[in-house]
Amino acid sequence: MRRPGDQLAHALAAEYVLGTLRGAARRRFETMMAADASLREVVARWEAWVTPLADRVEPVEPPARVWKAIEARIGAGPAKPSFWSNLDFWRAWGLITSGVAAALLAFFAWLYTGPRGEPVFIAVLTSSTHQPMGVVSMHSPNLLRVRVVHNWSSMRDKSLQLWVMPESGAPRSLGLVRNEVGDTLISIEPTDPRVRGARMLAISAEPPGGSPTDQPTGPMLCSGMVAPVKLAS
Amino acid sequence: MSADPGQERLAQLLARTALGDRNAFTQLYEATRAKLFAVSLRIVRERFLAEEVLQDSFVRIWNHASEYARAKSAPATWMTAIVRNRSLDVVRRAREEPDIDDVLTSGLVDEGAAPDREAAARAEEHSIRECLAELEPEQRQSIALAFFHGLSHSELAHHIGRPLGTVKTHIRRGLMRLRDCLARHAITGTG
Repeated sequence: MRRPGDQLAHALAAEYVLGTLRGAARRRFETMMAADASLREVVARWEAWVTPLADRVEPVEPPARVWKAIEARIGAGPAKPSFWSNLDFWRAWGLITSGVAAALLAFFAWLYTGPRGEPVFIAVLTSSTHQPMGVVSMHSPNLLRVRVVHNWSSMRDKSLQLWVMPESGAPRSLGLVRNEVGDTLISIEPTDPRVRGARMLAISAEPPGGSPTDQPTGPMLCSGMVAPVKLAS
Repeated sequence: MSADPGQERLAQLLARTALGDRNAFTQLYEATRAKLFAVSLRIVRERFLAEEVLQDSFVRIWNHASEYARAKSAPATWMTAIVRNRSLDVVRRAREEPDIDDVLTSGLVDEGAAPDREAAARAEEHSIRECLAELEPEQRQSIALAFFHGLSHSELAHHIGRPLGTVKTHIRRGLMRLRDCLARHAITGTG
């Protein structure tokens, strides 16, 4: 199929969204969409126009097994924060020689003995496969330290952006993080509304310069729950 | 887009889901599962198939939630489109004899169904319903049957009792009139 003109693009996009474009024709159209951004735009417009019709459909409760199946497919959630502030875990991990473990242990040693003000909270950010990728710690009076322990070589053309999530509500950006093993220091007050009530932190891969919106637009690279630091242990 | 608190909350939950917040994803599921299950059920008709579609759709939402940030539609619309597309993918290709009783009893009175207070406040739904009302009855009926029940051209022809070519024309012309009407609404800012 050659690239359709405007009239034909709308005719096809409308029938695609409606559902009357079927079978092989539907799949061919999807292939065209994948290669043509302006065609995707037209489809998006028809979806925005037509799909709201479905809002009037009477709801039907699905069985509980559907949720169980979804959970099974997306895997276990991030470890609870108490997991990371338990010193026994770190002692056990000290036996494993790996660059990541060593870097994390060095960081925690610094955390417990370093001169820079009491740590306020800590979050270990893990990937979707539960690999620790970074650690974020908040120190009074005004320092946020983001240590990347494992960088993302496949993301060289992306900017890494750090997000914080309070108990509920939209994520807020804390700024960009350098995509290399080491620290990014962010000067920020503990009373800053972005930090107060922080429950979860995450890093996403964004276009260079960061997200063009005030929300994440790229894939999540790692995330973790925030834990208050227990020094006496 | 109108500032709808329900949609605002869904947008926040999607943004948090994009960053791996399982709790937000759970809340997103709880808020939308029944509506989305019903949308799929009408198209695929078998509960077992609809369950699979719902599962596939939410796994997709979990993995691609960050794509919503660039979408220009309401969160519910974005999620509904995922479910509809998946449903249309799995619906059996060879439904020779559409189950007429099933289609009739599932109630093609969706246009007049119980008012959805939240949705009625949204400009998008208002526009499409107004424009649908402007169509000729046969155009409207074909489009509604296709949208809600996933009927193909040939199934529509069979159900309505009209030639295939006539049905295709109804759909094509009806959609183009919808486009003109919706463009008019956008320009004048009404609805």
